Amino acid sequence: MKRRQALGALVGIAVLGIALQGCSGNSASNGGGGLDGKGKTLDVMIESQPIYPTQQKQWFSDVSAAFEKQTGAKVTFETYPSPQDELTKIQTSVVSGQGPDIYTLGTTFTPTAYSTGAFTTMDDATWKEVGGKDRFIPATLGISGPDDQHQVGIPFSSRPYVMAYNKDILTQAGISQPPTSWDELTQDAAKVTGNGVYGIAVDYADGYDPWKYIWGMSRTAGNPIVDVTTKKAKIDSPEVMKAYQTYFGWLTQQKVVDPASVGWKGANALAAFADGKAAFLPMTSSTSAATLDKSAVAGKYAYALLPTIPPGQTATTGDPAASILSGDNIVVAKYSKNQDLAFALVKYLTSADSQLSYQKLFGDLPTNVDAAKQFQTNNPAFAPVIDAAGKSYGTPFTGAWSDVQLDLTNVVVQSLPQLARGSLSDDQIESKLKAAQSAAQTSLDKAKG
Amino acid sequence: MVSTAPGAVRRSNRRLAARREGRPLWMLAPGGVLMVVVIVVPLIIALIISLLDLDQYTLRSWLQAPFIGLKNYVEAVGGSQLMPSVGISVSFAVIVAVVSLPIGAAAALATQNAFRGRAIVRSCFLIPYVLPAFVVGTVWRTIFLRGGVVDQAFGLFGAHPGLWLNGPQSYWSLILVQLWTSWPFAYLLVLAGLQAVENEVHEASALDGAGWWHKLWYVIFPYLRGPAALAVVITFLHNFNAFTLPYVLFGVPAPDAVDVLPLLTYVTSFQSFRFGLSAAIAVCSLIIVAIPLFAYLRAVRLDVGEKREVRA
Repeated sequence: MKRRQALGALVGIAVLGIALQGCSGNSASNGGGGLDGKGKTLDVMIESQPIYPTQQKQWFSDVSAAFEKQTGAKVTFETYPSPQDELTKIQTSVVSGQGPDIYTLGTTFTPTAYSTGAFTTMDDATWKEVGGKDRFIPATLGISGPDDQHQVGIPFSSRPYVMAYNKDILTQAGISQPPTSWDELTQDAAKVTGNGVYGIAVDYADGYDPWKYIWGMSRTAGNPIVDVTTKKAKIDSPEVMKAYQTYFGWLTQQKVVDPASVGWKGANALAAFADGKAAFLPMTSSTSAATLDKSAVAGKYAYALLPTIPPGQTATTGDPAASILSGDNIVVAKYSKNQDLAFALVKYLTSADSQLSYQKLFGDLPTNVDAAKQFQTNNPAFAPVIDAAGKSYGTPFTGAWSDVQLDLTNVVVQSLPQLARGSLSDDQIESKLKAAQSAAQTSLDKAKG
Repeated sequence: MVSTAPGAVRRSNRRLAARREGRPLWMLAPGGVLMVVVIVVPLIIALIISLLDLDQYTLRSWLQAPFIGLKNYVEAVGGSQLMPSVGISVSFAVIVAVVSLPIGAAAALATQNAFRGRAIVRSCFLIPYVLPAFVVGTVWRTIFLRGGVVDQAFGLFGAHPGLWLNGPQSYWSLILVQLWTSWPFAYLLVLAGLQAVENEVHEASALDGAGWWHKLWYVIFPYLRGPAALAVVITFLHNFNAFTLPYVLFGVPAPDAVDVLPLLTYVTSFQSFRFGLSAAIAVCSLIIVAIPLFAYLRAVRLDVGEKREVRA
């Protein structure tokens, strides 16, 4: 028995030792770094580009070489396959106080990242370090922080949502202009549906896209889904109801979408459009050009702004939001010991030249004003996309947004069985909206700061 | 040890006592420390986190996150999807565990006697078990898609049963797929049990004129009781904790009918960033897992090794 006690004590000491070690690891202090980066290395976490793996590798080594020439510091890149994986990385880095110096984040994830307090808030001096706030297209700064004085996100790339349409199908049906209201879209879709072709390609089973439709229709009708100042969810409202009715109605009422689309994810909808089986592909970005230019509709499609006139209306009653403010922001970790070097790298990455070469490689639009101008003159076909970038609005800036987004998508997920049967009553939608409203409100009530 | 001389008994008792006293327990220390580091410390941390209001706002200095006692547990039981999820997880894991046993046993019995190509059949039986869950999920997702193979098969008979990956039917889809990956494990364990039945037993029952059914029921099955129980318990635990398959099959947010505990824990942690609440949910599911495990350990007396030695 004595021995067992001794063993217990030994174990106890070991646990204590580990715990203490854990504490000391947390208290690493932040030190400043000069701009002489010789012998230093910056670590950058960036989303992987599965369609362009070799180009991305090339881009990594080009950036590192250019930056080493400029400052003497090397740049290493880590990639993450999905936002979820990045989040795990951010969590461990945030807790341990060490990890990548710089992260790129999806725009809608910026509020969540901001709420961790782990990233450097930009002030006049740091904005100057990255080349000045005015080098960025003003709209792209819309989701960098809760207000102008508390911004953590530096706009890096822009991927606004637009609508692709099949020019041939529209011409055959005698439609000369892409629709500007959701009602027009529905009518046009009805005109072209038939002979194996459907009006709209919709990905009802996608994990992300559904809420973007709802957000767009509600926002243009004057309902931003969340009132950030009063912290109130506004899902249980006529605008949101109308949005869901329209979105589901394409399948249950007008029958202008493929019945199989209740099982579609984003890639399935893109494939249907690429096969020439659908006239409109709403909620796509300019990155789809890579796929479409190699498909059956190559040369036969064009991009247009998403409708900004809400369903059931003849004019925009809210913000003329053509797209969610979409793309990537750069954030610099507070714990980084190389803050100045990090900002120098951001300055390089957001300069007109490197933004243009990034666009050429990966298809994302520049956030740099000069780069955007040059790009527009050289690529008139992308004019609607650049137009959409300027008419983008950020999702509500609250740490609870990822939950609200999930609640909006969940309404669609739980409606799929009824959708598949082709009948979804208003009562059924309404009861799901009530549930989403209370779930979203609970998250908002829990949100701090 | 069968000696009856009193001196010998005393001597052997003394030797036994000396052996127990002199056991070099300290040699277990490295293993003990490792176990503490790998199992006990994370468990304690999870318990601590479940008592904290730990979320995205307090994560950066998580040790300073507000202590809120049992509030996370109260919310988990009263205000979250925990209870429905427990029902789904337990019922589906029990069904899969119970149904996979007879399938596995039948497969093991069918391949017990040697025949040409037995090795190939036995290897084929293991394919569902060795495939990574991610692959299984992707394949079955394609099969179950609207307009996919399953729908077409039903269509041949003019039946249109609706969605398989959503709505109430998704529960049965999950059971079917988990069953598909789980039964080879029962098969393996029953096969191992069958190998333990010695030839003499078969000969003796043949000599006594037992028919195949009597032989199976009275002679062979008693040998399989241990492995079969183990198969059921482990299959239950495995399915109860399965995350990859439901995640790949249904994605998140999951349909209500298949919102199993691991998915709920994942969403609470990584979509809602409520780490405290999710730790509380994890602790609850640990307790549920511990019940069958405890029952099993009692049944096979693995937990009372010490007592038996004393009696010996």
